[in-house]
Amino acid sequence: MAVDYTQEAPVIEGNYSFRDISDIISKPMETIPDKKYFIALGISLSMFGVGILCWILTFVYGVGKWGNNVPVGWGFDITNFVFWIGIGHAGTLISAILFLFRQRWRTGIARFAEAMTIFAVINAALFPLFHVGRPWLGYWLFPYPNNYKLWVNFTSPLLWDVFAVSTYFIVSLIFWYIGLIPDFASLRERTKNKIKKVIYSIFSLGWRFSHRHWHNYEMIYLILAGFATPLVLSVHTIVSFDFAVSIIPGWHTTIFPPYFVAGAVFSGFAMVQNVLIFIRKIFNMEDIITIDTLEKMNKIIIVTGTMVGYAYGMEFFIAWYSGNPPEQFAFLNRAFGDYAWAYWIMVTCNVVFPQLFWIRKIRRNIIIMFIIGVIVNIGMWFERFVIVVTSLSRDFLPSSWDYFKPTLVDIGILLGSFGFFFTLIILFTKTLPVVSIAEVKAVLKQAQPSHHGEAQNG
Amino acid sequence: MSKNKTTLNKQWISLEDFENSSKFNEQKKKEFFDGVTDDFELSTLAPLSRRKFLALVSASAALAATACTDYKDKGEIIPYNKKPEDITIGKANYYASTFNDGSGILVKTREGRPIKIDGNPEHPINRGKVPNYVQAAILDLYDPERIKKPLQVKEGEKRETQWEEVDKFIVDNLKNAVNQAKEIAFVSHPIKSPTTFKLIQDFQQKYPTTKLYIYDLIDDQNRKIAWKKCYGEDFKYPIKWNEPDIIITLEADILGSDNNAIENIRLFSQRRDINNPKYFNKLYAIEGNFTLTGANSDIRIRINPAHTLEFVLAIINELFKKNKVSDNWFAIKDKVKNYNLDEVIKKYDLSAAKIDELINDIMNNNNKCFLYGGNALTVDTHIAINILNEIIGGIKFYNFDDINISFTEYSSHEELKALVKKMQMNEVAVVIHFDTNPVFHFMPELNYGKSLENVPLKISMTDLANETSQLCDYVLPINHSLESWNDFQIRSSLISLQQPVISPLYDNRQKELILLNWISLQTSDKIFDLYHKYLQLRWENEVYRQINSKTDFKDFWYTALHDGFIEFATLKTEKPSIRLDSINEIKTIVETKEEFTLLLCDNITIKDGRYSNNGWLQELPDPISKITWDNYASISPNSAKKLGLKNNDMIEIQTKSGNLSIPVLIQPGLAEMLVCVKLGYGRTFAGTIGSNNGFNAIKLMSLEGQSKFLYQNISINKTGEVYKLATTQEHHALDDEFVKDKHLERGIIKEGTVQQYIEEPEFLHHGAHHSFSGPDGKPLSITKDFEYEEVKWGMAIDLNKCVGCSLCITACNVENNVPVVGRDQVIRGREMQWIRVDRYYTGTPDEPIASLQPMLCQHCDNAPCENVCPVVATTHSPDGLNQMIYNRCVGTRYCANNCPYKVRRFNFYDYRDFFANGFYYKDSLKLAHNPEVTVRSRGVMEKCTFCIQRIMDARQEAKIQGQNFDGRNVKTACQEACPAEAIVFGNLNDPESEISKIRKHNLGYHILELLNVRPNVTYIAKLRNINTEDA
Repeated sequence: MAVDYTQEAPVIEGNYSFRDISDIISKPMETIPDKKYFIALGISLSMFGVGILCWILTFVYGVGKWGNNVPVGWGFDITNFVFWIGIGHAGTLISAILFLFRQRWRTGIARFAEAMTIFAVINAALFPLFHVGRPWLGYWLFPYPNNYKLWVNFTSPLLWDVFAVSTYFIVSLIFWYIGLIPDFASLRERTKNKIKKVIYSIFSLGWRFSHRHWHNYEMIYLILAGFATPLVLSVHTIVSFDFAVSIIPGWHTTIFPPYFVAGAVFSGFAMVQNVLIFIRKIFNMEDIITIDTLEKMNKIIIVTGTMVGYAYGMEFFIAWYSGNPPEQFAFLNRAFGDYAWAYWIMVTCNVVFPQLFWIRKIRRNIIIMFIIGVIVNIGMWFERFVIVVTSLSRDFLPSSWDYFKPTLVDIGILLGSFGFFFTLIILFTKTLPVVSIAEVKAVLKQAQPSHHGEAQNG
Repeated sequence: MSKNKTTLNKQWISLEDFENSSKFNEQKKKEFFDGVTDDFELSTLAPLSRRKFLALVSASAALAATACTDYKDKGEIIPYNKKPEDITIGKANYYASTFNDGSGILVKTREGRPIKIDGNPEHPINRGKVPNYVQAAILDLYDPERIKKPLQVKEGEKRETQWEEVDKFIVDNLKNAVNQAKEIAFVSHPIKSPTTFKLIQDFQQKYPTTKLYIYDLIDDQNRKIAWKKCYGEDFKYPIKWNEPDIIITLEADILGSDNNAIENIRLFSQRRDINNPKYFNKLYAIEGNFTLTGANSDIRIRINPAHTLEFVLAIINELFKKNKVSDNWFAIKDKVKNYNLDEVIKKYDLSAAKIDELINDIMNNNNKCFLYGGNALTVDTHIAINILNEIIGGIKFYNFDDINISFTEYSSHEELKALVKKMQMNEVAVVIHFDTNPVFHFMPELNYGKSLENVPLKISMTDLANETSQLCDYVLPINHSLESWNDFQIRSSLISLQQPVISPLYDNRQKELILLNWISLQTSDKIFDLYHKYLQLRWENEVYRQINSKTDFKDFWYTALHDGFIEFATLKTEKPSIRLDSINEIKTIVETKEEFTLLLCDNITIKDGRYSNNGWLQELPDPISKITWDNYASISPNSAKKLGLKNNDMIEIQTKSGNLSIPVLIQPGLAEMLVCVKLGYGRTFAGTIGSNNGFNAIKLMSLEGQSKFLYQNISINKTGEVYKLATTQEHHALDDEFVKDKHLERGIIKEGTVQQYIEEPEFLHHGAHHSFSGPDGKPLSITKDFEYEEVKWGMAIDLNKCVGCSLCITACNVENNVPVVGRDQVIRGREMQWIRVDRYYTGTPDEPIASLQPMLCQHCDNAPCENVCPVVATTHSPDGLNQMIYNRCVGTRYCANNCPYKVRRFNFYDYRDFFANGFYYKDSLKLAHNPEVTVRSRGVMEKCTFCIQRIMDARQEAKIQGQNFDGRNVKTACQEACPAEAIVFGNLNDPESEISKIRKHNLGYHILELLNVRPNVTYIAKLRNINTEDA
């Protein structure tokens, strides 16, 4: 296939006017949801309902409803937490880091990825807060002045988690909202519905598309991007400290911070890719979220997947190299112990399957890339499971070893977390522009004045 | 002047007023000025006044506020109007008493309610230690399922009735029975109380047709019969376990399920003192089952109990061959000449090396070896053992100065058969179950339950409903040991007193009192003290006279009550001489086919099933298999392979008398072709906790055969079903290279031999790579260490002395209000015990060596649990304790994850009210709690505290006395209960304390030293007394 390398490939395919872009992106908000939408919402809400039921059971009776036991104090709860925080990673990476690197292809997917970040982080934050034995006292994890004169323990990685996750959430939310302001203004201009108009007016904060507004907007967006960039790295680094700072073999590993970040980006991109495949099809945004964009995401998946694979290998090497018998046993136990099945699911899903993306055809094939994306997320969930459960189930004293078996409630809560996530996504698609109107307009051909007179609609 | 005065005194409000205008005066009579009230119309006003509104607002706010709090009405608190003389609120009182099994106990009571039972430290047999079921008996006292009133069964329905009514009816019936010359069957366990025995005699005098039937599910009949055949007298001798240098047990669990285990352990462990390694005794356990004794033995020889007789005879023959036997034994030489040791070794695939060592030790240790056979062995085997014991000079280790006392003999099988027959012939008018449960305990062949139907009046005296009371007409609630008066005599040298420490909780009576009242009916107001007076009278007439005390009786009595016992002068009995012809009693041995042998054995927890309704005991893991709540069929790995069995597979065991489906446990080290099943399980009417745990192996028992515990040629079939056993420790295949010997690799278990230690006392620390000591000898650290200036607590556990009896666990449960979680939670891995006894195997699956290790919070100086808690709920105290703050804990479980010893326990549920078969939260059970220890709620982490309540108590006491607290005299509950005295606890900063000396011992080590968490529990490595060169 002949590619013209002299020119940058257009980010948006096809010939769209600015107005067309506004029309396409705002269409979902201006039409009444159809039957399919309600079916999808119904499914995700039912999953969410199952989750709520299981949470209620846990609240009323206790964590005993789960499979956790004494060596395995954390099971599905922390596995899910780390998984969802990981999912959240793609959003900030796309919106902040790729923005700083001036990767224009991010415009089509940034908004959606950011939204997913926020939903995933909300989802994730529920787990550490409510996995505790006495969830009604979960707020004790926050340092707040109180009449007991009690303070939190700043040496505990769990506390760092609280700060890392809450900071990440707040910054992501602000970043997302700032990006939404011009779009709210566009919507305000378009809508004929009075109520919507009021709402959009409020949220657009008096945006009038003035030059001064644009100037300030670009500035704050840049600053926030710079602010969010270290967070992308810090959040999962700190989450990995939960394990790395402990003394349990299989947890106490210095490779964890980069390995966790790579894994998070890996799973986050897979999830964004998965969801966008539906979005672009359903909302006819194939030209905005192009195959090229998806291919680029797949390239990131293969890069991070390989990094994760390298980390798996390096863990084994270091275990051997350390000469520390419990450490060596912990890793051998992962591969050949009671949970070997989980380990090999993880390796197959995370290391083997993404390598198929070396093939261009597969990289650009919607169905196959979707399947690989799903596989990656299964693999990444199992990665967390392997780290959390396998290490705990066989630690130092063989006398205390025990096998963790999840209960139906565990599975229900996992299902519920997916239901919660997809419910928020489905609601999001009909309430807010899933693609940034302003940013996409900025990458249209006609937004790039040139001397060659190619611009038609100017 | 006068006018002025009036002017000054009068207040005026206007000039009109001052001038006293008439108009104004008129106006003044009205309340309001004209026009002011024109707009005021009562009906138009809001019905709510401002006051009322404010009142309502504040009331509803207050109501809302109270509704939002979790205030619960805790009931009235009534202070003592007149304080009882002996009770100070917050201070415990201790009373010496005796438990119903004869153990001397010391009961701790708080505000009049007993909360802990320990051994009476001065009691010569117990020395402050009691078995598990006595420690846990507090739970039985407060068992909410105790029968609270006498029950009468009428037309199949139970109804509560009155004692007067019951007594009158029964006495009439007893009289009728005597008049009609019909039997009154009196079914009892052996009587250990002289006063009870006298009472029964009185009862028999009053009702002469009374006949006593005495039984125990687990008895030592065979040993007694054999002794009688050998020596012509009754067997009544305790054993001086501390004296022989070499102890050889044959299928005997002297350190575990033996009834006298507490004393045995104490005496045995006296010879395991690391400061005197040359004085170590040597224990050979020759057994098929894997018992605690086997686990603690220096050499364990695995042999199927069906072959023991052959083995013993072969050893006698071997000794003849080696000219070890003196000339006057030649009469029996012929008898044993057919038994060749080498052949026996070959035939049964025994370990030749170990047997060589045994023979060598016997040869070289004249009169220093002692041989002891277990209850399960046949009479013939016991005869052979007695002969061999005579040959090696072991007879002198029996105590002939202080003999066991038994007031009653066991009824023979023939007598029991006769009883059942008489019942069927309607010759028994009344049957009295004197706190017994024969319907459960009697072998199925007797068909006791069915025969009972023919008895017109069936009486059961019991505290809990059981299988027998279920079939009785009258169920009479009896007292717990802690509510009763009595005396007990189990040895000739002492007699101990039982005194109530709490009045009967319900409308129950002591079983002796019930009998006494039947002898001569009393009016109800006199009954209360009846047996007390009877006891006192007997003491005055008999014991007091015998002692010949100079004090008056009252003083004597109170002194005896205070001490809990009185001692007599020892009496010297002659050492009996053996009849050589007793060997002729041994029948020729029938060659056994390659079929399975069944061995029924005792347990250390619920004994014959009578303690089934005690959750603490049910949840106490078997010290070897680590299984709770159930019994199982243990089978060797090879035999299991042969039958295609895995753990938890159900099998059907078939004997001549019955069959039983029971799950399998593959037990390394078990003899081949042997199945071992614990008795006492499988109760069907034993309350919420006790019912339906385990499988009733009594169904397999038979009256025929040489031993009621041993059955040959049984058949085993796999049923295909699976039953999950609840275990507190994972079972790994011993030959699994992957997980094998991790405990040695990681330095969790460190062992050596006595010889090694004598030659090289430092051997344990040779090649230790992980030393964290700097040049000044202090541990290396990148931060400045906390200086413990006053007291610093530490513990040492001597693994040479520890036998794994699990008493520390029970004592800790009682002291620290540890909940019972139930079988399903144990399966889920959530047991709550603060201390556990870990068991590791080394060696092959056929000949494993077991190592036992109590594991509890190590109170590390660098505790990894402390820095990971986000809410500072676990902290370090200035005296070196790792503390848990329950009310700050939110339950992240991070501390438990980060604990390398996994000793932290999490309340996954509110274990006090959630489970039907757990620790239920009923009223009376709350009384069992130690008031000094917080009852933990759901979602909270907990763990061993080193009994901080006891430390604080001692500290407070020192403060009150104005002394410097030096940390002496503080004992943890586990330490207090340990019969081997294996646990040492104290102040490490006190150079004089035992702990600071033992901590520096050459054999001391810490577990997982490589982590540098600096634990404060030192383990003293176990030394095995084996000949390293030979073995």
